[in-house]
Amino acid sequence: MSATKRVQQWATLSRMWYLFDAQWQDPFRSAQTLALYLTGQNKPIYHPLNDCGDHVVVINSKEVALRGDEWKKRVYFHHTGYPKGASWTLAWQLHEKDPTMVMRKAIFKAMASNLIRRTNMERLHIFPGSEIPEEIKGNISGQIRPVMPVPKRLTGYSKEEIDNFPKVFDYPNDYILR
Amino acid sequence: MALRNLSQIGRKVFEVNCNKSSSIFVASIRNIKQVTHNENPDGTVVIAGNYMPSPRANQIITVKSENEGHCNSCYMCKLNLDVKHTDVLILSQFVRTDGCMLPRRVTNLCKRQQKRIGTMVTMAQKAGLMSNINPSWSHKDPRKRYQHKKWNSYWDETTIKC
Repeated sequence: MSATKRVQQWATLSRMWYLFDAQWQDPFRSAQTLALYLTGQNKPIYHPLNDCGDHVVVINSKEVALRGDEWKKRVYFHHTGYPKGASWTLAWQLHEKDPTMVMRKAIFKAMASNLIRRTNMERLHIFPGSEIPEEIKGNISGQIRPVMPVPKRLTGYSKEEIDNFPKVFDYPNDYILR
Repeated sequence: MALRNLSQIGRKVFEVNCNKSSSIFVASIRNIKQVTHNENPDGTVVIAGNYMPSPRANQIITVKSENEGHCNSCYMCKLNLDVKHTDVLILSQFVRTDGCMLPRRVTNLCKRQQKRIGTMVTMAQKAGLMSNINPSWSHKDPRKRYQHKKWNSYWDETTIKC
């Protein structure tokens, strides 16, 4: 057995810790990927009775991006159980109260509803910023690819890059620059 | 009728201003024209406004005829680019310094492309990708926006109806 195959086997049988940067990522699209890692479905030894899920550390969950106007259209429902106990919270309001909640609920929904769902959710560690506690940072040995390309702001480009970029059209001769 | 009168008053005020400050005022407004002030040996003064070469003149991109798109009604159709709302270096060429989309008589686009580019400019602005090209009174930092507008969002270009 080659050295790489041997290490791959160790990684399969051990609990890996993966890092996922949620900057400009759709929580619902990335949840489809992260749920595979948390349940262990990315491994060849997966079996529903085989407890082989990995840990996933999500950073920058405050910077997640929702599609279109979903921040004001998506509603989270809660009921206290008492009469008139229903409440509806918009996604942007929930994100203001807890920047990890939209991501956590998306991953919870993406996993199959069974008895080990909450056990698998315990292996998910979400942080709103890029700061990770040292005891978690020391465990991380892998990284999950972003599911969407991260856009770059116009302020991220230098003036030379903007000026030297090819132009698609020229102004008419009598146009007043503003 | 009232509107026409108002516009006439505006035009008269403008003409008065022009007469006061000579042609220099007109030329300074037109950033694309340069005023030259020459005095001949026989005492005649020649003040001329010449068109300046556009700053983009030697940066215009063209495409080979075999790589053109199937539609050739305008240059964007010919270029056949897959423009997304995140391509801010392309979209920022179509806006003024206050973030307004340029009209079709300036951009010279076909109707479909004008609609597509205009919608994508709006998408980029809502996503806060071009927040430095905005009116002076607007929030430059997307985090300071109101309610749902402060969080990151992305758009799907297939939702543009044209």
